[in-house]
Amino acid sequence: MKRLHDAISAWRRMAALFSRRRRDRDLRAEVEFHLAMRQQDLERAGMKSDAAHIAARRQFGNVTLFTEKTHDMWKFPSLESVVADTRYAIRSLVRTPGFSIVAILVLAIGIGANTAMFSLVDAMLLRGLPYADANRLVILIGNVQRQTVERRGNSLPDYLDWRKQATSFDEMAAYNNFTVTLFGGDEPERVMVESVSPSYFGLLGVTPAYGRTFRADEDVDANRDFVVVLGDAVWRQHFGADPTIVNKTVRLSGQAYTVIGIMPPGFTGISDTGQIWLPFVFAGYTNSRSSRGFQTLARLKSGVSIEEARAEMNTISARLEAAYPDTNAKRGVEISPLQVETYGQLQPIVLTLMAAVSFVLLIACANVANLLIGRSEARQKEIAVRTALGAGRARLIRQMITESCVLTTTGAVAGLLMAQLLVRAGTLASPVQFPSFVQPGINLKVLLFTVGVALLAGLVLGLAPAMHARFARLTEALKESSRGGSGGARAQRLRSVLIVTEVALAIVLFIGAGLMIRSSQKLAAVDPGFDTSNLLTVSVSVPRQPAPPGATPPVPGQPAPPPLPYLVSGAELMDRVRSVPGVTSVGLTSDVPLTGAGSAVFYTAEGDATTDAQTVPRAYVHRVSPGFFETIHMPLRGRTFRSDELKTDSTVVVVSEGLVARFWPKQDPVGKRIKLGNSSSTNPWLTIIGTVPETKYRSLPANPTADPDLYFPAVDRSPQPMLIRTSVPPLSILPSVRAAIRQDQPAVAIFAANTLEELVAQNTSASRFTMWVLSLFAGTALLLSVIGIYGVMSYLVTQRLREFGIRLALGASRRDIVSVVLRQGTILIAIGAALGIAATIGLSQLFTTLLFEVTVGDLSAVLATGVLLVAAVLACVIPAVRATRVNPVETLRSQ
Amino acid sequence: MGTPPPVELIPGTLDMLILKAVSRGPLHGYAIAQFIQAASDAVLRVEEGALYPALHRLEVRGWLRATWGTSDNNRRARFYRLSALGRRELDSEAEYWRRVATAVTRVMQAD
Repeated sequence: MKRLHDAISAWRRMAALFSRRRRDRDLRAEVEFHLAMRQQDLERAGMKSDAAHIAARRQFGNVTLFTEKTHDMWKFPSLESVVADTRYAIRSLVRTPGFSIVAILVLAIGIGANTAMFSLVDAMLLRGLPYADANRLVILIGNVQRQTVERRGNSLPDYLDWRKQATSFDEMAAYNNFTVTLFGGDEPERVMVESVSPSYFGLLGVTPAYGRTFRADEDVDANRDFVVVLGDAVWRQHFGADPTIVNKTVRLSGQAYTVIGIMPPGFTGISDTGQIWLPFVFAGYTNSRSSRGFQTLARLKSGVSIEEARAEMNTISARLEAAYPDTNAKRGVEISPLQVETYGQLQPIVLTLMAAVSFVLLIACANVANLLIGRSEARQKEIAVRTALGAGRARLIRQMITESCVLTTTGAVAGLLMAQLLVRAGTLASPVQFPSFVQPGINLKVLLFTVGVALLAGLVLGLAPAMHARFARLTEALKESSRGGSGGARAQRLRSVLIVTEVALAIVLFIGAGLMIRSSQKLAAVDPGFDTSNLLTVSVSVPRQPAPPGATPPVPGQPAPPPLPYLVSGAELMDRVRSVPGVTSVGLTSDVPLTGAGSAVFYTAEGDATTDAQTVPRAYVHRVSPGFFETIHMPLRGRTFRSDELKTDSTVVVVSEGLVARFWPKQDPVGKRIKLGNSSSTNPWLTIIGTVPETKYRSLPANPTADPDLYFPAVDRSPQPMLIRTSVPPLSILPSVRAAIRQDQPAVAIFAANTLEELVAQNTSASRFTMWVLSLFAGTALLLSVIGIYGVMSYLVTQRLREFGIRLALGASRRDIVSVVLRQGTILIAIGAALGIAATIGLSQLFTTLLFEVTVGDLSAVLATGVLLVAAVLACVIPAVRATRVNPVETLRSQ
Repeated sequence: MGTPPPVELIPGTLDMLILKAVSRGPLHGYAIAQFIQAASDAVLRVEEGALYPALHRLEVRGWLRATWGTSDNNRRARFYRLSALGRRELDSEAEYWRRVATAVTRVMQAD
């Protein structure tokens, strides 16, 4: 009731701020009325009008002074008294350094962790993507309806139709990524190209630091100028940050390009890996609707919702499907905000962790609230005296709030320092690759957040002791203090609530962390189907052999002559690597496992009548060399390729067992035949020469689709990924592998060196990041709540010492006392646990997407709960045992 | 004049007296001053100006509600009445006062 009434007072004062002039007028009218009434009465008693006027005023007293005083009733306490309160609070906190340090430390942990997490939320979600109108940027992703809707690329004709027909967008840009070898620096280097429509840069709102970007006519046909825009990093690294490079030429994979512009520092395109930019026409898409592969960036028109755009694109897709049934059947477009695509799973993870860390702060606050209640009890007498001296209730509450705000802001300052360290260490140690522009740090917004959290916590914490302290009346305050300084039943209830809250919050975090740990374990235990240990991968970019002198240059309009062979063959690359000590075997592949780079094909099994043009089965193709299966340790049944089969028109294939199980269950697949395309295609039949088990070749923990894999014989390519099995730690021989591959051939570039174990780690990094951070939060929560429970139980025991003394004196055993205390604690912990478990189940919808093959009912949840409960009960044991050390005589005498 | 001079109020009792004055119905400031004086047989005299800070303080606290109305002689006046919170406050103040007064009287009557 009292709290309500303080709130009412504050509210009235607030309202008064906005009606000051009216109040002024009213007050004057009120006083006027009083004076007039008095004058009238005096006149009735026989006084003359002038005399009555003067007498009425005299009787009232100093009109100005009282009016002023009345006004003051509506004012907030002046700044001056806030400063005085603050100084008083600091003095009283300094007098109890033990209490203050513990409270500030606990708050620093809570506020610091929240600040650190918030700075990440700010960097990722609040600041938004570093592009103009980023919230209206979307990606258009072509998809196909199979068993599920699967994402695909877009085709050029479809893209052109969208541009022509769609009205929901300001602008669209096609883009794609590939790598080229850049010559010009000391060493040739593989660089990541974003090939983009001219509108791309305008869509993102970036302008070049030097020069210009592409003109529309630089993206129309194959009779093009070879122009390139360099990224800042490439420009600095290879061209010494020389602005005069603009309009000069550089060589990219055997072709001279004119540099037309340099992008500003930090710009890496929406792939976040772009190093140079070429016009989209270089991506080489044909005018066929079935040649799909690139993505489309677009900006929604202002005021057009994403749902409206989706509806429109659905209509256009239906139109295209009707017009081109052969290529566009079941084809649609998905529209996804660029932010969602950029952050993927990181967005829900970061939001979940932000929620989790707020629990840590709540637990920290509960602990400090407990300390403050204890403190205010110890100060009952001081408070009683101040009340007796005329301090108002509101004034005392204000004093308490000032004091807790001093605590929380000091905690916040320490927390900010902690957050700075946490963010730096966290981003360094994080297994997750955040986009390069996500640079969490302490900025104004983060600072405001921290100050806000500190003041809010200060307000709540200041009200906590006020909740139970009854200093409204002198009599009661003195009665309380004469009883020995206890806050009575109300304080006990409040403390019990604190225990219950702490346990409930800690349980939620603990179960969450337990589930994440289990989930990460399960993820790590996923068997990719091959042996990732001691396996190194590098990619080698090899130019083609130079044209012999006197060869005829290609004539436009004539069919191009067959491309020249590569400078170094795949077989030669393997030989070179094999010569390195520590290498046990080598294999070539067209795409590195776990990078998801394989390409999909449709195929038909011989004699199969169960599929038609719509359900034609799909598989993923990898071109691999002899030695590949042996190197990656995939158990092969049948045989691998012979060296004479390593050509594009070879008719042998190794398939994964899923394909066999579908079309020739329980039969020997060797000798069976498949062909690419549907049953009416004229592609040659391919004979199965061997099978390997289904593996997670494309991605962990599962391939994006359940389609089987086809292994075709390797043909020379560039870049050529290699797999190298080693007998020593793989990275230790990387330098010798590099040297062996290059053999001082400057045109040979080696890149993307990695271990397969690292690729596995990258595939599961988001889960491990969540696990580590959540475990850290849960550990902190455990520590804080155990300390909190210990504190409260110790206090409650102290309160009941007299009772225990009597019990012991009356013959109770020490065991009885222990069980009394433990029962009290256990009941509270059990209530907290029940609430926590209920909350976890309620919240489970939010975090199941972050879990892999683990549900809330997992054993790990039970275990986590168990660990927390044991720790919580243990926190009650010490106070319980201490309760038995009571000397009945002394206790009774002391009170 | 035969009447003894009015006495100063005991500090802190003004609020209680105001609450008591309006407990029987809405009154304006002047009437409250009149009531206190009349009900105490002119023993208690409120310094009239000091009444207004007290009235507004009680209003801010939510113990009194104020509305503009018309006085007996048809003038616009600000009327105060007791809120539920104010009535509770009055009850506890009155109880407190009764106990203190009884106790003090008892002490003073002891020989």
